Amino acid sequence: MADKALAARLILNRLGVGVLTLLVVSAIIFTITSLLPGDAAEEALGQSATPETVAALRAQYGLDKPGPVRYANWLGGLVTGNLGQSFTASMPVSDLIATRLPKSLLLAAVTAVVSVPLALAIGILAAMGRGGALDRALSLATLSMVAVPEFLVATIAVLVFAVKLRWLPALSNAVDIKDAGQFFRTYAMPVLTLCFVVIAQMARMTRAAVLDQLSASYVEMAVLKGAKPARVALRHALPNAIGPIANAVALSLSYLLGGVVIVETIFNYPGIASLMVDAVTNRDMPVVQACAMVFCFAYLLLVLVADLVAILSNPRLRHR
Amino acid sequence: MSAIPVGLVRSGWRTATSLPIAGRVGLLFVVFWLAVAIFGPSIAPHDVGAVVSPDAFAPLTAAYPLGTDYLGRDMLSRILHAARFTVGLALVAALAASATGTTLALIAATAGGWIDEVMSRLMDAFISIPSKMLALVMVAAFGSSAGLLILTAALSYTPGAYRIARSLAVNVKTLEYVQAARARGERLAYVAGMEILPNMVNPMLADFGLRFVFVVLLLSGMSFLGLGVQPPDADLGSLVRENIGGLFEGAPAVVTPAIAIATLTVSVNLLIDAISGRATRVVEN
Amino acid sequence: MDNGKRNSLKLMLGVGAMASTAGILTFPGSAQAQAPKRGGRVRAATSSSSTADTLDPAKGANGTDYTRQYMLYSGLTQLDASLAPQPALAEEIRNDKATTWTFKLRKGVKFHDGSPLTPADVVYSLNRHKDAATASKVKTVAEQFAEVKASGPNEVQVKLSGPNADLPVILAASHFLIVKDGTRDFATANGTGPFKLKEFKPGVRSVAVRNDGYWKPGQPYLDEVELIGIQDEPARVNALLSGDVQLVLQVDPRSTGRVNATPGYAVLETKSGLYTDLVMRQDAAPTSNPDFVMAMKYLIDREQAKNAVFRGFATVANDQPIPPSHRYYFAGLPQRPYDLDKAKFHLKKANVAGNVPIVATAAANGSIDMAVLMQQSAQKIGLNLSVNRVPADGYWSNHWMKHPLGFGNINPRTSADQLFTQFFKSDAPWNESGWKNEQFDQLVLAARAEPDDAKRKKMYGDMQVLIHEKCGIGIPVFISFLDGHSTKLKGLGSIPVGGFMGFMFAEHVWLDG
Repeated sequence: MADKALAARLILNRLGVGVLTLLVVSAIIFTITSLLPGDAAEEALGQSATPETVAALRAQYGLDKPGPVRYANWLGGLVTGNLGQSFTASMPVSDLIATRLPKSLLLAAVTAVVSVPLALAIGILAAMGRGGALDRALSLATLSMVAVPEFLVATIAVLVFAVKLRWLPALSNAVDIKDAGQFFRTYAMPVLTLCFVVIAQMARMTRAAVLDQLSASYVEMAVLKGAKPARVALRHALPNAIGPIANAVALSLSYLLGGVVIVETIFNYPGIASLMVDAVTNRDMPVVQACAMVFCFAYLLLVLVADLVAILSNPRLRHR
Repeated sequence: MSAIPVGLVRSGWRTATSLPIAGRVGLLFVVFWLAVAIFGPSIAPHDVGAVVSPDAFAPLTAAYPLGTDYLGRDMLSRILHAARFTVGLALVAALAASATGTTLALIAATAGGWIDEVMSRLMDAFISIPSKMLALVMVAAFGSSAGLLILTAALSYTPGAYRIARSLAVNVKTLEYVQAARARGERLAYVAGMEILPNMVNPMLADFGLRFVFVVLLLSGMSFLGLGVQPPDADLGSLVRENIGGLFEGAPAVVTPAIAIATLTVSVNLLIDAISGRATRVVEN
Repeated sequence: MDNGKRNSLKLMLGVGAMASTAGILTFPGSAQAQAPKRGGRVRAATSSSSTADTLDPAKGANGTDYTRQYMLYSGLTQLDASLAPQPALAEEIRNDKATTWTFKLRKGVKFHDGSPLTPADVVYSLNRHKDAATASKVKTVAEQFAEVKASGPNEVQVKLSGPNADLPVILAASHFLIVKDGTRDFATANGTGPFKLKEFKPGVRSVAVRNDGYWKPGQPYLDEVELIGIQDEPARVNALLSGDVQLVLQVDPRSTGRVNATPGYAVLETKSGLYTDLVMRQDAAPTSNPDFVMAMKYLIDREQAKNAVFRGFATVANDQPIPPSHRYYFAGLPQRPYDLDKAKFHLKKANVAGNVPIVATAAANGSIDMAVLMQQSAQKIGLNLSVNRVPADGYWSNHWMKHPLGFGNINPRTSADQLFTQFFKSDAPWNESGWKNEQFDQLVLAARAEPDDAKRKKMYGDMQVLIHEKCGIGIPVFISFLDGHSTKLKGLGSIPVGGFMGFMFAEHVWLDG
């Protein structure tokens, strides 16, 4: 009973605070990007820019208004659900995001489904066999995986599986997927590459947190009582280690939405990370702002879930 | 006066020899890379930008022990120079990120209340901004100096360290002896520094090791976006990136910097694992 | 004798093609023994694709845009392999003193929506570039159209503000492709081109299907063309070699070995007038010092740039912008050598001390590598150059022409006049070095109006010498275009204005095998 009330209070609290955080992020992004040299009009015209064509385009985009005015206008639009019009694509920002966000979510979800259980298993196994051969081998393996630059993993994977073996396509445009086999083939390499990146943090944090719990006195008690190591790990240590683990998982998963621009570029995957990078390059401010909102919202959601999980699993935290 | 350094050396040696094998291997490579970072540029046979050969992506030869790069420059010299950038930038940035994050987290965890809320929300705001994006904007706005790269990396990874440190601190805070200390009336700073921090050290050390790797990877990710230290200088990640065209033929130009990155980052973490493992045992004893 | 009319075009352009030619244009190097086969689908990858992708010809900004637009629209003229204009939508072209041009439109041409091509469409298409609201990339070029009007049921007349013999060449550019009268919204594409738009997702892909009513009978051969952009060059080449795409743009010189060595694939090199130039501002120190400029020009190791940076896929240039393949190229200009002694001599005279930054970017291909090489050469004569690499985005608005020593990147221009007018004349919008040479300016205007081709060539020769000797621009090499393709793709030739056969490959190629 108390748990549910606590959870509900937390969620409400976070909702209010979440809105505040979103506002702060939007202000930060607006300020930082206004420091960028050049603007959308100059970018659009590129080498062929002349003062008058730039001025005309600026007027069209509304860039001739001062910064705070533009920000206020954008905020006003945001409140009514209107994300504005993209400068470069001449279509509503919401349409643009609607085409890319589902793709990013799908890639993130598939990667999460593959990487989280794997990372947890690796972390727990390593902690249980602490100091032993398995622990060392697993540590070395996860460390080596994260040490290699993403683009190298991706390019090697493409060279081996697409060019040499022709098992998988080099690109993952993912436009018309008809069956599970095609789905697998399209997503295999991007997911593989991303797993290399995110498994390490989750696995290592799992191992460290579980190890910490395993060295606590109540675990010694359980072992003295004759409990088997696996039972000790799963029933006693793990629940108390869930807090930090959930946090590490949340951080890693939030990376999967905004940090995957390299994978999206190499595999031509039309996701939202490359949309934001392109928007920064083109100084397409409405799109940059909207993407930042999306990433922030997703992150807050993940973190809320992580905190809920942490609180509900650690009895001592419930009385905060 | 001379007893102190001798004592340090002796206790350092004792620590080193008492490490398990993995730790010793890690230590060996870390020392190796530190040495390369410090002395590399002075022992490099060629200038970092000199085109020495008409052949690009040449194999290992006596004249060019690690082959040549895409322009025909000596890879050995380039790697010796690059190590300094990678090690230096990553070390400073990761240290800054971990230290700042941990400090802020301790303050937030012990002070609690609105300080905790405000700090956590601000950090959340920054975490949700993808690090590559932040780097892109920072470099485009402020240019590409080493100092800026360190600042950008530190800014990107402090919030993450903060978050993890805070969740650890909060977890520790609920343990009996910490609550006992608070009940005794100990000052917040004392509680933070003497009771909470020592129990966070191990996971935070592991996190520092990962932060170090993340900064190294951020640097190579930035090279993918065309940002980073000014040419002809490069960090190890940029070396991999600019020579990626030689991947198909397995040119040393792309393989050797990748191995360099791997050995550097893995060894740092092996060493940290060994030290933190030792620390646990010391605490238990 | 009205020698101002009909035939002067032949003299000026040096090509005899005036009658409308339907069918296949011959290109050197393509297998003409085979007859084209109808059918098939080709996926082509360019090097960039973003939400800035557009269906509006006026806004075309990169190779992807140009390719897409040539697939969907047609222009009054079209370039052939020797960069001479061929009649396209304009069947016949007459001119009076190169100032008043009359275009007789081809009959029976229909837009994709079925409506016929009328003079009003041409008038609208040409005039809209002058309107600032269109934000056209070629506004400055269109400024010379003093008046554009329909002069008959099937005729359009263009009065220029001054004589310009190159108008047919200029109109072949993708920006001047003809759109339907009154089109303001380019959410879809209604053109007269070889393909009809089927799908357009900016930043993702464009798909077009054959236009069976295309005004060139029998063409195009392909059923469908898909155009995507793959930014990462290794990924682009891998996509080709794994069979995902059949044609790619901008293969890195270092990847050509791999492509050629893989059975079923080949690289097509197109020598062109594309160059990345060293820009030395004449209004800033130390580049305003003519001795410094000379020192820098002697410091450029052109052979090294050609071999180390472009792996041989370039042509050594001579600090002037007309490539050897251009009909107005002046072969008599002695090649400036890489000469450290002369460079040192001039540097001493210039008395430049301290560090000189050189700004380079990925947006100007090869500039970063060339800057690094120049830095090495400079060290040998005691000059300290520090490379300042800046991001590609925003380069053209924030860095180009704004630093004493930097780089530019100029795409090939078919018209020498256009090149000189837009980039070298004192009042040119993009006079990169900011030089002012009266003699040069006069020559530009004189050559533009000169009807005698031999005299014109001499004038352009003099201009090349002037640039070579006095302009603050160093041009190390002309860069070749490298297209990678499956050998099943036939009919791919070279039109040196860009890769992908001048971006016009779609209507010429067919699949065999």
